[in-house]
Amino acid sequence: MVTAPVELERPEADEAVRLDTPWITIVWNDPVNLMSYVTFVFQNYFGYPKKKAEKLMLDVHEKGKAVVSAGSREEMERDTEAMHSYGLWATLQKEGD
Amino acid sequence: MSAQFHVAETELLASLVGQLLDLVHGDMDDSPVRPPEDPLAAAIGFSFADRPTDPVLLRLFPDGYQDDDEAAADFRRFTETSLRETKSNAAATVLASLATAEGARPDGDADAEVTQGEKIRIDLDKEQATAWLRTLTDLRLALGTRLGVEEGDEEHWGKLPSDDPRRHVHDVYDWLGWVQETLVRALSL
Repeated sequence: MVTAPVELERPEADEAVRLDTPWITIVWNDPVNLMSYVTFVFQNYFGYPKKKAEKLMLDVHEKGKAVVSAGSREEMERDTEAMHSYGLWATLQKEGD
Repeated sequence: MSAQFHVAETELLASLVGQLLDLVHGDMDDSPVRPPEDPLAAAIGFSFADRPTDPVLLRLFPDGYQDDDEAAADFRRFTETSLRETKSNAAATVLASLATAEGARPDGDADAEVTQGEKIRIDLDKEQATAWLRTLTDLRLALGTRLGVEEGDEEHWGKLPSDDPRRHVHDVYDWLGWVQETLVRALSL
């Protein structure tokens, strides 16, 4: 008999990252995606409140990229895949790389 | 939520989405069977590991890792098939919405009289609207990549002579953006 895996609460991107989960997902700016759509994706997928989603979107737009989530490598692969499914361009890496 | 289109617009959308479906799904049916090294992929009988050479496919299925080709290839091998399925399903949802919309021309009825200003109404629930957003993005990514759009280049496109075929494609690209903007606002969380 096995128990179903429990979804761990996702650490916030700007919280101090624990040593055992040092991976991050980065969303990169692209010339096609609408700002309103990018904001929508951050709200819809991550469940971020509108203000936070907008701030991340503006970071992507103005700085060229933003860290949108942090956690284990597996979690970040899931998030990166999800971003690709929405047409955003994302990559994952070890925090501090 | 409800969206209204002219008949010509729905026909354009159906055509574009059909092409997207061929692009995204087509590879999966036609590709020769490659012996995958991965046992799971071997069980499924198919896997993508090579970075696409087509710039549109590369933009739809970008690398998940920078500066690490091996990790990127692994990531691609494990995710591209399911990503293609997600995008195909979204495109299929859009086609179904268009086909069943109020006022839609019955299938194959090319002689059905349709006046210039005839409107089509499309009703979407949240799930369908999200599928539309995914597909509109994929269409824009495809067209944008083919056109070579860049950040802040609107002026360049505005200056193109009206007989330049790329101008028309860019107009469609812009229109898709407008449709998407309208839909996002309607879904505004």
